[in-house]
Amino acid sequence: MGRNAGWLAAIGLGSLAAVVGFRVPGLLSDGNLSVIKETTPWMPTLDISLGLRLDGLSALFLIIVLGIGALVMAYSARYMSERIVHPHTGYFAWMLLFAFAMTGLVLSDDLILLFVFWELTTLCSFFLINRSGEKASAPAVRTLLVTAMGGLSLLFAVVLIVVRTETTVISEALASNVWAEDAGFTAGISVLIAIAAMTKSAQFPFHMWLPDAMVAPTPVSAYLHAAAMVKAGIYLLLLFSPALAETPVWQVLLMSTGLLTAVMGAIFAMRRFDLKEIMAYSTVSQLGLIVALIGVGTASALATAALYTLGHALFKASLFMVVGIIDRQAGTRDIRILQGLWRKLPATFITTLLAGLSMAGVFPFLGFISKEYLLGKILSTGEAGWVGAALVAVAVFASATTFAYTARILFGAFSNYRGSNREVEQDQDHSMNETVREAKPSFYLSALTPALLGLILGPAISILHPLTGAAGSAAAGSIYDASFKLFGGFTVELVLSLSIYAFGILAITQRRSLDTFFERRYLGFQAIDVVEAIRLGAIKLGTKVGDTTRTDRPLGHLAAPWVIIAVLTVVSLVTIGNLGDLASAEEPWTDLVWLGLLAVTVIPAVFTKFRLVAIILVGAAGFIVALWFFSLGAADVGLTQLLVELLTVVALVLILRRLPKVFHAVSRPRQLMTGLMAVSVGVVATLATFAFTGRRDISPVGQHFLDEAYKDTGGTNVVNTILVDYRALDTFGELTVIAVAGIVVIGILRSRKVLGEITPDISNWANTALGRTVDNTLPVRMVAKWAAPLIVLLSFHLFFRGHYEAGGGFIAALVGATGFGLAYLGATSDSKAPIAWPYRGLLASGVIVAVLSGVWGFAVGSFLKPVRFDIPLPWGGEYGFTSAMVFDLGVYLAVLAIIIAVLNELGGVREAQKEPRSVAGPVLVAREFLEDREAQPSKVPASLGSSEDQDSDDEPGMNGTSEGGNK
Amino acid sequence: MSLALSVGLLAAGGTFLLFQRGMIRIILGFVLLTHAVNLLIISAGGTARRDAPFIGGDTSMAADPLPQAFVLTAIVIAFAITVVMATLAVVSRDDDDTEVETEAEAKTEEDKGDSGSLPERGESA
Repeated sequence: MGRNAGWLAAIGLGSLAAVVGFRVPGLLSDGNLSVIKETTPWMPTLDISLGLRLDGLSALFLIIVLGIGALVMAYSARYMSERIVHPHTGYFAWMLLFAFAMTGLVLSDDLILLFVFWELTTLCSFFLINRSGEKASAPAVRTLLVTAMGGLSLLFAVVLIVVRTETTVISEALASNVWAEDAGFTAGISVLIAIAAMTKSAQFPFHMWLPDAMVAPTPVSAYLHAAAMVKAGIYLLLLFSPALAETPVWQVLLMSTGLLTAVMGAIFAMRRFDLKEIMAYSTVSQLGLIVALIGVGTASALATAALYTLGHALFKASLFMVVGIIDRQAGTRDIRILQGLWRKLPATFITTLLAGLSMAGVFPFLGFISKEYLLGKILSTGEAGWVGAALVAVAVFASATTFAYTARILFGAFSNYRGSNREVEQDQDHSMNETVREAKPSFYLSALTPALLGLILGPAISILHPLTGAAGSAAAGSIYDASFKLFGGFTVELVLSLSIYAFGILAITQRRSLDTFFERRYLGFQAIDVVEAIRLGAIKLGTKVGDTTRTDRPLGHLAAPWVIIAVLTVVSLVTIGNLGDLASAEEPWTDLVWLGLLAVTVIPAVFTKFRLVAIILVGAAGFIVALWFFSLGAADVGLTQLLVELLTVVALVLILRRLPKVFHAVSRPRQLMTGLMAVSVGVVATLATFAFTGRRDISPVGQHFLDEAYKDTGGTNVVNTILVDYRALDTFGELTVIAVAGIVVIGILRSRKVLGEITPDISNWANTALGRTVDNTLPVRMVAKWAAPLIVLLSFHLFFRGHYEAGGGFIAALVGATGFGLAYLGATSDSKAPIAWPYRGLLASGVIVAVLSGVWGFAVGSFLKPVRFDIPLPWGGEYGFTSAMVFDLGVYLAVLAIIIAVLNELGGVREAQKEPRSVAGPVLVAREFLEDREAQPSKVPASLGSSEDQDSDDEPGMNGTSEGGNK
Repeated sequence: MSLALSVGLLAAGGTFLLFQRGMIRIILGFVLLTHAVNLLIISAGGTARRDAPFIGGDTSMAADPLPQAFVLTAIVIAFAITVVMATLAVVSRDDDDTEVETEAEAKTEEDKGDSGSLPERGESA
């Protein structure tokens, strides 16, 4: 459908507006304060419900949002270019979503809901601006920053109100006593709400985003920046007026900011040449007047504000749409370039004239009435007469300037702009079209309608009495009957209006000199620069904060935990009270032996500079720790520790041959500093262990296991029953970790080039022990021949007896794996070493077996619950079989598989090059490979470990089958 | 007390090695630290009772079985991690060095300095 979807949207929104419009009389027949409510529970635990409320204020704003929305949609159907179909879906979607958000905002009766819709409007506006092109991303971000800041302010206010009044329903919160009693609270909320509204409605000092956002297409501006989004701020102010209107802070803040913005916006409008920018500043200025009016706070002022809002929406939307029409028809928006269009675009000219006169406040337009009443209300503020007079003088100045820039628009767009003599850069983009034709009616009608309404509603103002009266009552919290009149007699307001005309006409006649006066730059910087500076400053600050941990070294990341530990120690040392007595003071003398042995192994390990020495010493320390475990009564643990330490050393030795002999040098200061940190960690650990352990008897849960294990599981090795029966799920998790680690190792080694072996520089290689591998490995192979079957038997034995005595899946698998390690040590060359077992499959099957044993448990209740039955043995007696044993089998397979994988992958034939120390490029490697093949045809050609290699099998030990596939 | 001292000794040694340069020392530091923590967990069960926890005899002096089960799991998982780290130690360019040279560091800092600024913006006050 392309851009014609706009008609559809227009019909939809228009009908909604009509529905609201026709319900309003019914709504208000009960008197001006009547309200229609609907609630649906939303978050019951927090007492937040989707409360919706339709009162006079909501009705007015709804009509504005929906009505103008319908017109803008109809306008977009003609504004959007016909050729590009795709982006239009996004545009319409976001615009309608925005309309929804605004509707929700004005209908919401719940503070949280209000906030959600508020933020939704911010979000929609960001996306609408952002999608208009590359140079729109910066303004969009700035808009988002400013309006999001207002959103935060609103959030603070909402939270404070909810906490204080203990309800999230708006109507109840506003009626609470808090407002009258607590002046400080009220003042704070006033400021927060005012800030939120000021960011949304582009008031000083948050005004800069509105002109900046003019990069968005004109329909977007017509809707958002004229009629809908900026009105959200006004709505918020009116909504909170019942509670806040009497507060001095509120009044002063709103009036001063409002009037200041009005003047400032008007003056800036006089400096601009782009029609759209003039409109933007005009919006800022007009909103300033409305804000000042809300600051006055009386019921009549609020009703006038409502009326002004309506009038402004009508003429501003019309004006924005006109700008779009001119842009489309004439090709440019620059008033210095546009000439004589009043002849060529008559209908557009009439529209602009009607809207402009309403904006300038000329009799008999709607704008005139609202301006008159505005001046009257401002004049009557304050106890002292001079306050009102001073304020109204400012308002008059702002209005006169409004008159002047309206003329600027009319003259500049349609006739000849005879302003300052600044040269205009005549480039292709900015010249007027040669043939300028009037827009089609379908295009300009949507702009003409609101302008006409502005004319009609002036004399027919009484139609609006119910609506504005209801709005005013809702805003004031008390009944107010509107009684706006077109001509109220020869009052002060009339005199003021006439003076505005006089000043305005003067400004028009003197416009050339005025323009030179306005165009001078007074300040060195623009407000946008401030926003940019804040944004970049925040990013820089974030980068600095992130720099503290932006490092790859472990030292950088460990420094923070170390500091925390140190602080905790000091604190606990100071504050800790009575710890309780040590359970037993007697220590067997063996403890001291272990301690001494540990000192002997750990301290040199830390200081040595040779890699081999360090590994050996750490391995030895691991054995001492195993001795510790045995001494403390942890039999299974000690066995496991022993075997694991063994295999760790084997794994490290396997990679040792690819690394240099000595460690990297580290600077002295760093050694000292890390030494200090390490010593402090050690002291903390010692103190903590001493203070927090050993001061009570066995834990209740431990006692429970000791008492109940046999009854529950039939096993006598309590630790094993905990692992495979009571806490089988944890062990299952551990199993998965092992499987994943195995896959990770395989994955890394298959996809990266491994460092090459460092062959020592020996001249007479063949006669050394390393050169005569067959002889060298003879003892090991002899032992392996006898030991291998024994190791296998031992492994099975440990597996089956695990439930009753020391043993179990882990230990059995580790013992079995040690057998494989022995096979590795006894191999004569790398090519003969690899074990031809499918370890990937084994890893997977381990996990699968464990899962299956767990599923078996469903038969008796739940996952992994053990199933027990007795198997009669051939030699009499019975063997108590349990499904936990199947689970243990899964563990066995997985642990075995990972160790085989490690031995094979890290120690296997998979090498990148045969050259010592240097990493050869692919060409060199390929050449080596070819030479190798010629020299030793029987040797298995190695796959080279680069990423594009074949990966068909994981058994490089199979001779002849693993030829490189894609060389 | 000697258990506490052992824990402290291992922790100090492990931490020191962890702060050094080069993957092997980091692995060894990790291993020592694991030992320290395992000992700590076992000691949490109390060191007064030192019999192995097997049912079918006198369990009045049997050690607490629960920490032992934890530590058993911990040892195996630590082994898996050690193996992965060992793999990582041998797949880099030259050797197991874990620290970049300072000039290279400075260069990458420079490259990410400009990412915050936005393109040009329209004139407005």
